[in-house]
Amino acid sequence: MKKPVKNWLLASTVATLLAAPTVSTANDDLEKLTQNPANWASWGGDYAGTRYSKLSQINAQNVKNLQPAWSFSTGVLRGHEGGPLVVNGVLYIHTPFPNTVYAIDQKTKAVIWEFTPTMDADVTIPVMCCDTVNRGLAYGDGKIFLQQSDTVLTALDAKTGKRVWSVQNGDPKLGMTNTNAPIVVKDKVITGISGGEFGVRGFLAAYNIRTGQLDWKGYSMGPDKDTLLKPGKSTTWQDGKVTPVGADSGTSTWKGDQWKIGGGTTWGWYSYDPKLNLVYYGSGNPSTWNPVQRPGDNKWSMSLWARDADTGEVKWVYQMTPHDEWDYDGINETVLVDQEVKGKMHKTIVHFDRNGFGYTLDRETGELLVAEKFDKSVNWATHVDLKSGRPEVVPEFSTEHHGEDVNTVGTCPAALGSKNQQPVSYSPQTGLFYISGNHLCMEYEPFEVSYTAGQPYVGATLSMMPAGADVLTGKKDGTTNLGQFTAYDAKTGKIAWSNKEQFSVWSGSVATAGGVVFYGTLEGYLKAVDAKTGKELYKFKTPSGIIGNVNTWEFEGKQYVGVLSGIGGWAGIGIAAGLDDGSSSTNSEGLGAVGAYRSLSSYTKLGGTLTVFALPSSN
Amino acid sequence: MKSISTASKLLIMVTLTAPSLSANAQEKFRVCADPLHPPYSTKEQTGYENKIAALFAGQLGQELEYTWLPERIGFIRNTLKAENDNGEGFKCDVVMGVPAGYDLTDTSKPYFHSTYVMLIAKGRGWDDIKDTGQLINLPLDKQEKLKIAMFDRGPGTTWLQKNGLLEYGVPYQSMTGDNEHNIAMQIEQDLRAGKIDMVILWGPMAGYVQSKSPANSYIAIPMQSSPGMQFDFSIAMGIRQGDNKRKQQLNELIDKNLDKIHAIIASYHIPLLPIPAETGKKDDDD
Repeated sequence: MKKPVKNWLLASTVATLLAAPTVSTANDDLEKLTQNPANWASWGGDYAGTRYSKLSQINAQNVKNLQPAWSFSTGVLRGHEGGPLVVNGVLYIHTPFPNTVYAIDQKTKAVIWEFTPTMDADVTIPVMCCDTVNRGLAYGDGKIFLQQSDTVLTALDAKTGKRVWSVQNGDPKLGMTNTNAPIVVKDKVITGISGGEFGVRGFLAAYNIRTGQLDWKGYSMGPDKDTLLKPGKSTTWQDGKVTPVGADSGTSTWKGDQWKIGGGTTWGWYSYDPKLNLVYYGSGNPSTWNPVQRPGDNKWSMSLWARDADTGEVKWVYQMTPHDEWDYDGINETVLVDQEVKGKMHKTIVHFDRNGFGYTLDRETGELLVAEKFDKSVNWATHVDLKSGRPEVVPEFSTEHHGEDVNTVGTCPAALGSKNQQPVSYSPQTGLFYISGNHLCMEYEPFEVSYTAGQPYVGATLSMMPAGADVLTGKKDGTTNLGQFTAYDAKTGKIAWSNKEQFSVWSGSVATAGGVVFYGTLEGYLKAVDAKTGKELYKFKTPSGIIGNVNTWEFEGKQYVGVLSGIGGWAGIGIAAGLDDGSSSTNSEGLGAVGAYRSLSSYTKLGGTLTVFALPSSN
Repeated sequence: MKSISTASKLLIMVTLTAPSLSANAQEKFRVCADPLHPPYSTKEQTGYENKIAALFAGQLGQELEYTWLPERIGFIRNTLKAENDNGEGFKCDVVMGVPAGYDLTDTSKPYFHSTYVMLIAKGRGWDDIKDTGQLINLPLDKQEKLKIAMFDRGPGTTWLQKNGLLEYGVPYQSMTGDNEHNIAMQIEQDLRAGKIDMVILWGPMAGYVQSKSPANSYIAIPMQSSPGMQFDFSIAMGIRQGDNKRKQQLNELIDKNLDKIHAIIASYHIPLLPIPAETGKKDDDD
């Protein structure tokens, strides 16, 4: 019998055997752990989210000899996003709903402990739009942090798997769910919220790492006391300069009270700069689908944020897609690297958005430095004006401009974006970012009857199709591939190379000092490519399609590469939900994703497996 | 330490009767429905869709069986089009109410036609409103007092937007995560509590709201469709694409029982309009 989760706000008893480490060092510990490439201690490998490993045992010459070393079934058959953590030799993996966590001994391949939270499936499952994914765990202060689907944030003793505390981060009855991986920063664990399609107003929240008490919470829109924007102090990029925001910028671009169900959810990945003490992330789309109903820029949906880690106060914010009409959720990860841009060294933040533009900003000031298409088939905007920071929208591809009587034909990218949530990797050796991408366009057909929770209306049906254009030039070429794996220089906005993939690449990549980049494919291949040229060096078909991130670590002197396979999520929803029966030409219930992915089921079936790779011992 | 959980089942299927092992699936009338969605359907089977399903099952001499799931994004995917866990057949075969021309399912012929209604709570200073045009032409100081529900999608909000009333909208989601109230229940509560004074609501829900208060508690003004703003819709039954035999069977049942069906629906205070000749879906000829 399932029992609803109680709203625990009190800390449970902490095992007295655990020496409570001093708070101020929590993030120093984690930082030390991430500096040792034997660990993979946070979703991005490090605070900066580079997903780069200094390990070089596996290199471009010998990676052809790679082979599966061991595998582990998670026991769950749905979309497996995120990836394994490895901390001090112990491997931790998570599953989609019911969010089981396993700690695995790498020596014996045995389960040290496992934990499955009690969640009310009847409440949680119906409010998860796109399969029941979970993007992984965080480690810090001797604890594993699990952000459960039902919004409960749980701290587990990393040694025993015993629950130390839990806190209710949101309310599933209001449509709130969680899919993101939390991060540990100083004495806090930071998490966000999902549920934009239910009108959830997004926020980033910081909880005390030892007690689970809420330290601060910053909303994506609303009055300044909610957003934690300080008028005159917090800044945005405007008119070619860093400009302080005025009062209540989080309500002034909304009609009436609409900001209250404003969206701007925060279900992506978060990064942190310890020197600047800033947390970075992106906010999602405004929750009302019909843009006509929400005139204005709808700030601060679709924005990049820098918040003070101690207080949540906004240092700077930059809106990428004002007044979204395409569902280009701005939640993708933010990577922090120092680079020379236009002759000057900057501490930069790099973000590849669903909208098809790669953004490079100064992460200290929020100055916009570069904004270029990382897939030239993108056509909804001609360019981003670096002075105003705003995209130049092409009226032909504006759903609103067309109104109800004309198809919006061939808008690129499709709603799932030129890149979705699967994080990029960065190699300091090449100076390139490696992007797991989609290569799709979409059509909105008006005059389709929709039906939401018992009320009919004339809406639009979204269908997707291959972009059919060259990534490097944007020229129509009749190609049918739905994915691309692209290397991009964020200093200049130039694409170095790009490989075609039959299906979208929905797996986060990892770059290594061995000159190799690894990623997974929807058919289920783990692939290794040359970081300089993109040449494919190795591939192996895992049991199911890969939407998880590839991570790498070292154990007893050997480098391992590991990835979860298990098709699902938005890309695989047609398969994961048994919809892929070929009976209708398009289907909008998977938010339009199903049509284009119809043939995927000939390649892969449901699964849930961790596959770990290594070089043979003789190498 | 928890033992290994087998909670990979996503839908908890509830059968109303103990399934007998020898029962042939053909002998059941299997409906996909929301367990808490008055006036359409409830687990206690008090909704008008429940009544129509019982009528059909009775005439077919079949056992009525429900698969329950809240009707939100993914409903069709996880019920009508979801295979049983044993891989044999689907979880259910009929969705009792979808709009004619709905593209997530194939649809039977329409069995009733209704319209959105503007409901105005009486005794709140709006009792003189007789048609929607009066709201548009209110003096500004009066207009500012409007508290009208505004959904994130749907023709009611388009109407507010086109008539410059968006500012006075109290925002609501068309779809909520609330497992204790559906939209109709929420709106009904908020109207009574004075959180809102008026709402543009789909006929069946408007009927539900009125049924929960003494007669004449509300002014009810049917909305008129205009280009770009369709307020009236035909409702049909949803079946899987390609399930033509069942479609045929439902069409026959609808023809045979149209008067009974309309009597059931009318008893729920739902405005009924003549069913227009079926225009059907646009042909996709490109």
